[in-house]
Amino acid sequence: MPTIRAASASLRLRSLDARYGLLGALLIAPTVLVFCTVIVYPLVSAIYLGLFSIYTPTMEGEWVGLDNYRRLLASGEFWRSLANNLIWTAGTLTLQIVFGILVALMLHRNLAFRALARSLVLFPYFLSTVVAVLVWRWLFNDLYGVLNHLLLWAGIVDLPVDWLGSMPNAMISLIFVGAWKYFPFVVIAVLARLQAIPDELYEAASIDGAGAWARFTDVTLPQLRDVLIVVVLLRTIWDFKEFDLIFLLTGGGPIIGTQTLPLMVYKEAFALNQMGGASAAAVLMMLIMLLFMSLYLSRARD
Amino acid sequence: MSRIRFENVSKRFGGVTAVDDLSLEIESGEFVSILGPSGCGKTTLLRMLAGLERPTGGTISIGETVVNELAPAQRNVAMVFQTYALYPHMTVAGNIEYPLRKRRVAKNERVRRVREAAAVLELEALLDRKPRELSGGQQQRVALGRALVRDPAVFLLDEPLSNLDAKLRTHMRAELIRLHRRIGRTMVYVTHDQLEAMTMSQRIAVLRDGRLQQFAPPRDIYARPGNDFVAGFIGTPSMNFLDGRLEGTGSGRTFRCGDVSLPVGMLPLADEMPEPDRRVRLGIRPEHIRIDAEGEAARVNLVEPTGHETILVFDYRGNELVARMDGDVDIESGDRVKLAFRADKLRLFAAADGRRLNDDSTP
Repeated sequence: MPTIRAASASLRLRSLDARYGLLGALLIAPTVLVFCTVIVYPLVSAIYLGLFSIYTPTMEGEWVGLDNYRRLLASGEFWRSLANNLIWTAGTLTLQIVFGILVALMLHRNLAFRALARSLVLFPYFLSTVVAVLVWRWLFNDLYGVLNHLLLWAGIVDLPVDWLGSMPNAMISLIFVGAWKYFPFVVIAVLARLQAIPDELYEAASIDGAGAWARFTDVTLPQLRDVLIVVVLLRTIWDFKEFDLIFLLTGGGPIIGTQTLPLMVYKEAFALNQMGGASAAAVLMMLIMLLFMSLYLSRARD
Repeated sequence: MSRIRFENVSKRFGGVTAVDDLSLEIESGEFVSILGPSGCGKTTLLRMLAGLERPTGGTISIGETVVNELAPAQRNVAMVFQTYALYPHMTVAGNIEYPLRKRRVAKNERVRRVREAAAVLELEALLDRKPRELSGGQQQRVALGRALVRDPAVFLLDEPLSNLDAKLRTHMRAELIRLHRRIGRTMVYVTHDQLEAMTMSQRIAVLRDGRLQQFAPPRDIYARPGNDFVAGFIGTPSMNFLDGRLEGTGSGRTFRCGDVSLPVGMLPLADEMPEPDRRVRLGIRPEHIRIDAEGEAARVNLVEPTGHETILVFDYRGNELVARMDGDVDIESGDRVKLAFRADKLRLFAAADGRRLNDDSTP
């Protein structure tokens, strides 16, 4: 008798488990569905399209295998765009991190109007990219821009500087506008972490003989390490695939002087009407990002 | 050489006075506890000594040097924090070595001194670990090691044992006493735990509301408390107080409180209470109450056996008295008994300012 009862109990349990399993599957089904529609399908179709030579307006074309990849890897434009992409990402990210930490440190101190300053700092981040870029284009304009006006007035330059139409000015301007637009993200993350560092660590360090700089390098920076790893990871991904800011500010020009991979993908797809080549470029871009990210994460974990 | 002197030191935070006109002198090599309830200013006092707070008034000196204007690093003090404040990204060895590195001690000298400190604190096996991999007691020892390695003139300890469990606390208490004997440095130990203060210190400074109440060796603090606050704060269970007045003088002196009347003529008083109404508080320690057939009638309200002793709460003519008796005492709640007090152990305090009236010869 006891064995029978135990067996029936375990049977009932199993059916309960099964019911929970079914419920669980039902509950995650919408997420899985959305995930498949917006991530898996585009990913798979990009890989698929990359193997065809497709005319964008008709979306028709023939199988070419890996020809798109061969063509891209053999073209100077792809490598130039990749180099631009790396310069842009490294440049703007470095400035974002440095400015972000500096401003966060300033806001962490008991400034007058700290609350006001904290909200003002977020302003560039909240501003729509289109609006921000239009304003910057006015500032940079070589004929009536404020920047050239001030430089001429101060006697620093004799002739107006072409900020966006010549190299390397265009890349430098781009990197600065990117830094201006996105450093508030670093400020928010770093400031939140700064406020969580226990005062005792600073006090212990100052008793142990650490000056202000040593307290920063020995207490603050190590405490910021984890948050900076995440910030760098996120910002690298976002900066690497930045499109609107670059497209609106320089359009990739002069010629392809500031053209990054996302702009090249766009150009292939909609200016040259080669959806197949664009897809292949997009897939390559993803692979490059994956490579960087896995390298970065394995380094950061040590 | 490392005598510490506080002269009329005050510290105000906005409108709040944390330390009020405090003067205190700690001898070189002495282990002194600063004891008091939360918010009495004891941590502020220590932080001023460390240089983490600036006094609002008065002077603090270490040795012959006035340190008011010196940065923490220049004072030759080491501090152990309640939360240990270990640098989380450094190993145990890195933490202990840190103050030496900041003082530009040569590499091989650093290694030698870290090894030495680690040996004293039995940390050798843990030198390569990170603080988060250590237990509370081990972190505590690393914090001590970081202080020890510098060989500072003064050790400041801010409630260093309060985050440890009871058993480890007892163990670390003994360790600290041993460490003090071994290195013979001045140690200032802040605590709210009277047991720690009583067991470890050579002298205890009792603080209340930023004012020094008494500064004396533990036995004196217990037997000859300077005022009724110290008397009530030290000792568990606390001293019993009866509020009443004195009548008569010399051997005919009597304490009256309601219908309690106790002859206190045999107590040598330093102070015969010049105040006309002679309002006093009579203090009786729980262990100085015993059951005696000749004594005063009382009723047992509560019996709390703890094993080795029994805490009894009596109703004595409308006053609550707590007594500490043997563990095997055979009394039950509701019993009527007769109580006697050890007459020579009674303490009298002036009701107005709390000062002790018994003279110092009181046993």
